[in-house]
Amino acid sequence: MAQQPIVQLRNLTKVIRGKKLIDSLNLDLYPGQITGFLGPNGAGKTTTIRMMTGLMHPTEGEVLIEGQSLQGHYEEAISKVGVIVENPEMYKYMSGYKNLLHFARMHRQVSKERIDEVVRQVGLEKRIHEKVSTYSLGMRQRLGLAQALLHRPKFLILDEPTNGLDPAGIREFRTYLRKIAAEEGVSVFVSSHLLSEIELMCDRIAIIQNGQLIDIREMHNEAETVYYVEAEPLAKVQEVAQQLQIEYIVQAKGLELQIPKEQVPQLVNELVAQQVNIFAIQPQQKTLEEQFLEMTGGGQIAESHTK
Amino acid sequence: MLNLIQNEWMKLWHQKATWAMLGILVVIIIAFSGLNKYYEERETRDWHTVEKEQIETYTQILAEEDAASNSYIQDEITISEYRLAHDIAPPNGMTVADFMDFGVDLITIVTLFAVIVGASIVSSEFSTGTIKMLLTRPASRAKILTSKLVTTFIYGLFMLAVNFALVWIVAFILFNGNTGTLLEVVNGQVQEVNVWKNLMEVSSLSAGNFIMSVLFAFLIGSVFRSSALAIGLTMFLSFMGGMVVMLLSKYSFAKYIWLAHTDLTQYANGGQHMLTGVTMPFSITVLAVYALIFLVISYWSFMKRDVTA
Repeated sequence: MAQQPIVQLRNLTKVIRGKKLIDSLNLDLYPGQITGFLGPNGAGKTTTIRMMTGLMHPTEGEVLIEGQSLQGHYEEAISKVGVIVENPEMYKYMSGYKNLLHFARMHRQVSKERIDEVVRQVGLEKRIHEKVSTYSLGMRQRLGLAQALLHRPKFLILDEPTNGLDPAGIREFRTYLRKIAAEEGVSVFVSSHLLSEIELMCDRIAIIQNGQLIDIREMHNEAETVYYVEAEPLAKVQEVAQQLQIEYIVQAKGLELQIPKEQVPQLVNELVAQQVNIFAIQPQQKTLEEQFLEMTGGGQIAESHTK
Repeated sequence: MLNLIQNEWMKLWHQKATWAMLGILVVIIIAFSGLNKYYEERETRDWHTVEKEQIETYTQILAEEDAASNSYIQDEITISEYRLAHDIAPPNGMTVADFMDFGVDLITIVTLFAVIVGASIVSSEFSTGTIKMLLTRPASRAKILTSKLVTTFIYGLFMLAVNFALVWIVAFILFNGNTGTLLEVVNGQVQEVNVWKNLMEVSSLSAGNFIMSVLFAFLIGSVFRSSALAIGLTMFLSFMGGMVVMLLSKYSFAKYIWLAHTDLTQYANGGQHMLTGVTMPFSITVLAVYALIFLVISYWSFMKRDVTA
């Protein structure tokens, strides 16, 4: 990637009472990209995010935001970051609007018009003047997103952002994140335990286990690909596959073939020449869940992320 | 910085407790003034007659008892004679100044309220989790803590202003008709008591207790992040502090404990500190040093510690 990273984690380490919670993390985050942050419970996701937002001080290493150290130039560096750490906790005794006003005053140049704009974007305009204590969890999430976007951050950190949103809300949220990433070049860093959610939302995932980054991968260019072919008669398909020296697994109505994308037209031509009736050919990627369980040794991801 | 204080002020007045404290103060003042007005006893006879009777009574007592030792009675007779000679009426019933004295007593209550605010203004952000939202902003932790401390003192001063304004208004409505002059004997000379000067003196000396209590509550609230502990400990020390100092008074280090000095009003009207040889400048120095220590610990703890709320 030729672009300059917005956020760089350099050798980030956190030791608490002699225990290494985070061990020399190195990670670059780029503009316009949504990076998912995955890991079993207790792997150090929240600790990492807290260090990236200045809530915790790293034992070693540093967090750079547009080249500025979060530790050295806190005010300038953090002004480019929008944050939702775990559940967005708001002042429940005030209205949603007063909450936004409160946070807007802490940034330079957030006008009243900008507050109204963000309120419209997250779809809270009808209830914004009611007390937060009357809001549902989903509405609080929306308000949380609104406060994180107020100052047009270049980098957005979200910890469990869709927790409590309804399916329509989740979808809207996903579309919205994609939009600000694409249009405004915002770099987004999302931690979530909803693997399917991450899969739909992210361009890239970083996986952490026992405080160490075990993998960073792009989501949409898998090296090995599998295609599912549904066709009749299956025996002929198997013959063709053997001819072309393709590995395959027989399934109920078709075959799972391991071939690179470039070889697909050749396969189709061959099948057509053999007068095989093709009903469907579709690419199959391993789901993120399968990959994740494979990498982390399985069985460790918990249903909910609470702390 | 102004924005941050504005924020704290807004949050403060959106909480019911803040209004409740204001309400309690108003109710106390109005109830107390009402009771005083209702049970007020006024002398209906002419004051000249009363003073003459008093002189007779006191003279008799003096004659019966060992005379010269009773300087109080002697002073009373001197004052009464002075009143008759110069035609200066004594106060009849409660005066405005008397009632303002009650306002000075209420500084203790206002201090308690300021302590409650100071104890919870930091710790409540931790207990509700909003501290995460507050600290991930382009405002350094030092600025945020300062805004909270300043807001606490502004609240305290505001409550003091409400207290004195209300007491003064009520005093003028209910007791303005009660005139008269208080006299005292100083070095054998009769002179007028300067009530207002005394009120001012005691009020400003109360600042010692006010400032130290608020800083202490603020310290405990921001270090232990628990408002209950902060309020409890501050109250405990302000009630028991005097006793602790008494118990330790035989040791020389007792005078270096700040609790021995928080009550500066003991110096009012030329009073002496309960520990011998301790002067007001010394007390103020000790308080200033402790205030600085409290602030350094509060800031250090708030700025350096990780937020795990």
